Amino acid sequence: MSDRPMHTIMSENTKIPHESGAYHVTGEATYIDDILVDTRLLHGHVYTSPHAHARVLGFDLSLAQGHRGVHAVLSYKDIRGENQMGPAIKDELVLAVDEVIFVGQAMFLIAADDEATAIAAAKLIVVEYELLPAILSIQAAIEGGEKLQPSRKIAAGDSSTALANAPHQFKGLLEIGAQEHWYLETQVCLCIPGEGQEIRAFSSTQHPSETQALIAEVLHIPKMEVEVQIRRMGGAFGGKETQANHTAIWAALLCQATRKPVKIRLFRDDDQKMTGKRHRFLAHYQVGFDALGTIEGLEIELNADGGSSTDLTMAVLERAMMHSDNSYFLPDVTIVGHAWKLNLPSNTAFRGFGGPQGMAVIENIMDRIARQLQLDPADVRMRNYYGLADRNVTPFGQLVENNRLYMIQEELLHSSSYAQRRADVAAWNAQHEFLKKGIALTPVKFGISFTTSFLNQAGALVNIYKDGTVLVNHGGTEMGQGLHTKIRQIAALELGVDLDRVKVNATNTSKVPNTSATAASAGTDLNGAAVKNAIDQLKARMKEVAAIVLNQTIIAGEEASLPENIHLKGDMVFDDLHPARKLGFTKLCEACVFHQVSLSATGFYKTPGVYFDRSIGKGRPYHYFSFGMAVTEVQVDTLTGHVQLLRADLLHDVGESPNPGIDIGQVEGAYIQGLGWMTTEECKWDDKGNLLNHSPDTYKIPNVQDIPADFRVALLQGAPNPNTIRRSKAVGEPPLMLAFSAWLAIKDAISAVADHQLEPQFQLPMTNEAILISVEGLRQQMKRMRGPRSLQ
Amino acid sequence: MNAYSNHIAFWMDGKKVEIDFNKDTQWRPTTTVLNYLRSLSHHKGTKEGCAEGDCGACTVVVAEPDEAGHMQYKAIDSCLVFLPMIHGKHLVSVENVGSSDNMHPVQQAMVDCDGSQCGYCTPGFIMSMFSLYKSAQIPDREEILDALTGNLCRCTGYRPIVEAAAKSCLGNSKDHFSPQESEVAGALTAIQNSGNIEIKTGENTYFRPTSLTDALNLRSQHPSALLVCGGTDVGLMVTKKKIQLPLVLDLSGIPDLRAHAETPLGLRLGATLSLEKVKLLSKGRLPALNDMLAVFGSRQIREQATLGGNLANASPIGDTPPVLIALNASIELQSLAGTRVMKVTEFITGYRTTALHPDELITAVIIPPTPAQVTVKSYKISKRKDLDISTVSGCFWIELDSKDLVKDIGLVYGGMAAMTKRARMAEDFLRGKPWTRDQVEAAMDHVEAEFTPISDARSGKEGRRIMARNLLLKFWADTNLPLHV
Repeated sequence: MSDRPMHTIMSENTKIPHESGAYHVTGEATYIDDILVDTRLLHGHVYTSPHAHARVLGFDLSLAQGHRGVHAVLSYKDIRGENQMGPAIKDELVLAVDEVIFVGQAMFLIAADDEATAIAAAKLIVVEYELLPAILSIQAAIEGGEKLQPSRKIAAGDSSTALANAPHQFKGLLEIGAQEHWYLETQVCLCIPGEGQEIRAFSSTQHPSETQALIAEVLHIPKMEVEVQIRRMGGAFGGKETQANHTAIWAALLCQATRKPVKIRLFRDDDQKMTGKRHRFLAHYQVGFDALGTIEGLEIELNADGGSSTDLTMAVLERAMMHSDNSYFLPDVTIVGHAWKLNLPSNTAFRGFGGPQGMAVIENIMDRIARQLQLDPADVRMRNYYGLADRNVTPFGQLVENNRLYMIQEELLHSSSYAQRRADVAAWNAQHEFLKKGIALTPVKFGISFTTSFLNQAGALVNIYKDGTVLVNHGGTEMGQGLHTKIRQIAALELGVDLDRVKVNATNTSKVPNTSATAASAGTDLNGAAVKNAIDQLKARMKEVAAIVLNQTIIAGEEASLPENIHLKGDMVFDDLHPARKLGFTKLCEACVFHQVSLSATGFYKTPGVYFDRSIGKGRPYHYFSFGMAVTEVQVDTLTGHVQLLRADLLHDVGESPNPGIDIGQVEGAYIQGLGWMTTEECKWDDKGNLLNHSPDTYKIPNVQDIPADFRVALLQGAPNPNTIRRSKAVGEPPLMLAFSAWLAIKDAISAVADHQLEPQFQLPMTNEAILISVEGLRQQMKRMRGPRSLQ
Repeated sequence: MNAYSNHIAFWMDGKKVEIDFNKDTQWRPTTTVLNYLRSLSHHKGTKEGCAEGDCGACTVVVAEPDEAGHMQYKAIDSCLVFLPMIHGKHLVSVENVGSSDNMHPVQQAMVDCDGSQCGYCTPGFIMSMFSLYKSAQIPDREEILDALTGNLCRCTGYRPIVEAAAKSCLGNSKDHFSPQESEVAGALTAIQNSGNIEIKTGENTYFRPTSLTDALNLRSQHPSALLVCGGTDVGLMVTKKKIQLPLVLDLSGIPDLRAHAETPLGLRLGATLSLEKVKLLSKGRLPALNDMLAVFGSRQIREQATLGGNLANASPIGDTPPVLIALNASIELQSLAGTRVMKVTEFITGYRTTALHPDELITAVIIPPTPAQVTVKSYKISKRKDLDISTVSGCFWIELDSKDLVKDIGLVYGGMAAMTKRARMAEDFLRGKPWTRDQVEAAMDHVEAEFTPISDARSGKEGRRIMARNLLLKFWADTNLPLHV
């Protein structure tokens, strides 16, 4: 690339579209399933358990193995390495041995010429089972099941004394449902054999390093023989943080066995049946509060449905516990968490990672307190917010710094006309019997960092080529969140070059090793800082060369240029003290090669100062907190349960946004995804452990008709985040929880049926069915209170 | 005449493409258009998201000339459409719309509005927007939402996509396709006029006749042949149950079956009219039918699905049967032996069973005009309002006498029994009584007593019980506006 005038130089305010936008809209973006492979590509198929719990008495694969067009049929006996694919705790088998523990568990693998052949072969597999009793609900597990791992506890003050002394109190339980990720691109991996033991895996994974490690361990080959690459995922949302490993390992086993390219792409229904979901929770709580609604004592017991193995459940449970406070100061509190083992697929990461479940409990408590005291829930919430100067320590001992709650609340109350609209809603409800409106304001405070502190690290490899173009490699993966777009911007800004000079490469384990998952919303924080670290090194080297080159042209007697005065900006290199001395970026790159200076550097970053001691439930697990708040107004048809979102006002804190288009996309996308979890998305299992909602026919994520008729999304201005890359904040997960405003607005509308005098039956999700049952419950209670209505 | 024995022809990539199923054996006549496209190295942009027409990631546009010779561009779900169904049509996939260095206005708007995140659903959205663009309308928000209802996105929250559609669909249908349209229309007409298709491979026999007479002959010769037109239900047998249909009679090539006319008996709708077309025809004159079709599937589904197919399917949760029963519609059946006409009530005989004889085809549905004194309303309760299957549906009519007593009432329910079923006890109770809140609330108990609903993936039986009761109350409220909303 030649040096050009500064006509397309990016400023920090330039609108930058998604780096793949033009490829997305034209179909040119290549996903794993689109990679062209020669005709020897085999179709990989996973044979799964039809039973939730059974002993495997025996099996016969010979007929399947002999079927024409079949290249391999594998069982656990064919695994050369470890038959384990759990990410941290090794309690999850790659292929079942003598027992199956959930419907959809992988038992055998088939590689065949095509899908039809694989399916025909699968029908020839004979297995003999002895059925065993299965645990299929949290309640059943509590009553007679087992825990996946020891329970956890976080406490501050003395909750039992506080509860005993509180002037008001109540107890309750909240059932919180599962959520299917419903990434548009199902789990997929293409494995291509190389020389010797080499395997290249193109895996739709959020965690290439772990995918690489597990393939190596299961296949019993060194990690250096396994290269994992991912250019982009067609959505992930946490569903490909650990469970992408499964499909990748299965494909790799078939590739190892056949030494031919093998692809496994899970069919939509199979993906939904086989993979884990957002954890179901059953929460019990007891709260004590004063006459103004200020919480004095709180006890919460969180019971998580972990599914059949640990996976990430303990970290999810931990985050749920550490978000049971949401934005509220809890002086005397005890939070206990149990992870239960069920005969269902192992539940896993999902945007928010337990945070949403923890926050659902306290948000419903706030709503109940307000109803009991006949106060505006928004006032009760504000009264309990963490303070700026005091009342600002979380139950796990972290100081809430840079608290944006008051700043956001002030702006949002005004911009949403909350008080006026609450009055309007009440007036409207007084005039309408069957259609009811509801409104709610809910806050979000979300901790940013992996709570397993060592995971907070990232690496990068930045290569600059002689033509002045820059190829950035980093450990983060692109799943639609715009990470590569932001990284590209960061690299261009740090190097002072035009955006067109910079490309972010596919994530590849041979470029950047030993990385953490792209998760916990921290992709840009961690990888952006690692890229900056690499660029800082490159710039230091390049400035030395620049000084040499610039000094070649000066006239004797003139002051020489020094590296520390040299700046890279606008595709040029300047000496600040002698602005006339300048050099094009490409020329400098050529000069570096000529002067035998390396234009490649690795970068590294670890988050400073985060730690957490699980044994006492205390620490500073989060680098910082993200804040946000939303007001949603709904209309509920109490005869059909149909909900319409009339208006939503979202105000979210992302520090200084590097790319408002992308950040707003994250905020509103997360809100709608949260809305789905809380309203129309429902996972139900039958009494044999079969998932009933295993396709979009019966599993309903929001569609375009479900979004708020009036949707106002804004980013908080004037609140830079200290100590992060370019003063920005993580954005992926926190806004999902803004949707609690819709969930509680629905409750507000239901509550209006009984003029807010009765506590409605409430759960998550509030499907139309749940709404109807709740409304019916209120109507029956009112009828009993009024006495029977006489027929005219 | 079988001008296209064992092969089909269509327009794609700027040229006529032919597939000979005896030579090009990687494809079958029941290969879906999606799988066909994805088997080509230069058409990987079209994605499979669900293989059941619920997500729209596979949306493509098929275009063909209308009566006036103008190309009409319809978005459809390519995962449900068999290759012979695009015979004589122009197949447009996302790659044809534009490339990254030469984007179409809808693509450029999508980029400018930040309308893509992970990008996997994006090609499907682009195709829905492209068909909207080619319709040359300036769509309002409602029309944009309707055009995008069949496309799921899990990333964006849709707002930027709606914005991109509004920004690019400005009533100008001109683009790089425009200059070739008359040439393409001519080529397609020639293909369409070339007669029947008959495909016989070792494993599949597939007939696509172009006249009703030929269809009736084939029906009588092959009574076991699976009848298909739009494929929105039959397609699932291939994509989800992985059944390779051995013998198929495809009715999508018969213009006579797509006719519609006002007759002395009422509006006569050809059996293979698309539901999208029926929706347009019912607008303003059959509001109960129009309301139901507004929440029937998606645009992509309605472009393919037919009225005859929805009736022949006889599903207890089919959306049109309750409405057609309430509207007192008749169904016309033809065989070589002649024509029968019967009420829709008589046609549906049980759970997915009908009175259709093995040599008969549904040829039309006839909807008589609704008397002025009769009020008809339709309702659909589903978990998600749009593109969802009914949990409970209802279509009710009422006629009050001069003293405001109930002269006649019909309460037809879907989703509450093995077939569409009337709440007769409640009807009997209400007949002759005043149409008041108290009477209606008493009748709700009779509705409840009529049914023994099931629990399934969509709802529990308790939910269905409440829904069935409430719909009667809602009907009462709706006929007493504006006091009780």
